[in-house]
Amino acid sequence: MKIVFRVVLLAALAALGIWLWTIFFPSPEKIIRRQLNEVAKRVSFTADEGTLARLADAQSLAGYFATNVEVNINTRETDRQSFVGRDQITQAALAARSAVGSLNVKFLDVDVTVAPDKQSATADLTVDANVAGQPEAIVQEVKITLQKIAGQWLITRVATVRILSILNFEPAHALRIVDA
Amino acid sequence: MRVILIGRNPKVTLVRALILAILCVLGYKVTLLHIRVEGISMMPTYQDGSKHFVNRLAYLWHDPQRGDVVGIRLSDPSIMRPSIMYLKRIIGLPGETVAFANGRVLINDKVLDEPYEKYDCDWNLPPVKLGPDQYFVVGDNRSMPPQLHDFGRVERDHIVGKTIL
Repeated sequence: MKIVFRVVLLAALAALGIWLWTIFFPSPEKIIRRQLNEVAKRVSFTADEGTLARLADAQSLAGYFATNVEVNINTRETDRQSFVGRDQITQAALAARSAVGSLNVKFLDVDVTVAPDKQSATADLTVDANVAGQPEAIVQEVKITLQKIAGQWLITRVATVRILSILNFEPAHALRIVDA
Repeated sequence: MRVILIGRNPKVTLVRALILAILCVLGYKVTLLHIRVEGISMMPTYQDGSKHFVNRLAYLWHDPQRGDVVGIRLSDPSIMRPSIMYLKRIIGLPGETVAFANGRVLINDKVLDEPYEKYDCDWNLPPVKLGPDQYFVVGDNRSMPPQLHDFGRVERDHIVGKTIL
């Protein structure tokens, strides 16, 4: 009985040790997931947010991006848009805050792949954005590339991914109707 | 009566019930996805807010068929249970050429019979040639402008399963 108790105690201690290890030394994947959650929170805003708070949030959002970040957006809802650099990210965040009343952004189904050298990573995720006044949520697949710069994971590239594509069609022949 | 309800040995019955419950939960998790429709692109077949199931094992033994209403993942195929999916109908199969002319679907230049289409449609789209692993999917509500409707080619590995119920 004493041996059983010791084994159980040892297993419990080992589990506690592993848990503490993951808390104090989280894996790159865990850090990136946490960081992306924070980005989603910073992008979101409510209608009652004050001007100073909006400015602070928009500026703090830029801190998650590399200085030479490149954002390419091509969705059904918007024309093709590109932002380069942190300043444009801040401006876009402020513009969004003045254009719509509130925005609630969630990153769903996040799939993080860390490169073997652990210096770069990609995250594939689904953006679920609820804009005030719009009956339907905006849903968009996005690919995010991150790099470890000065010990910090920063977003270097964001690109939308079209799952359903009618682009690049091959105009094989002229349209004509042939009844079956 | 007691024997009928809990068996000769209550402990064995309890273990059996537990195993059965675990198998039911696992079977449900592996086989079915419970979905809630958001939006009007599949009307009138599927109403906004209605709830259905997607059978994830529907295409285990055969490929998706024309006319099937399928769940299409946005996320990477490594995500086992996607949070959000498109709900669309397959109209084009791999290798085919799909076009819209005056609202009618043309598959390899021949008009597709679509009994599920209830609304007027005036779409015109040039031919799209599907790759060997691509399907063409579209919603049933084509009364809305094509610019407001998510449709087009999709890779096979993004098709999660077929809707049932």
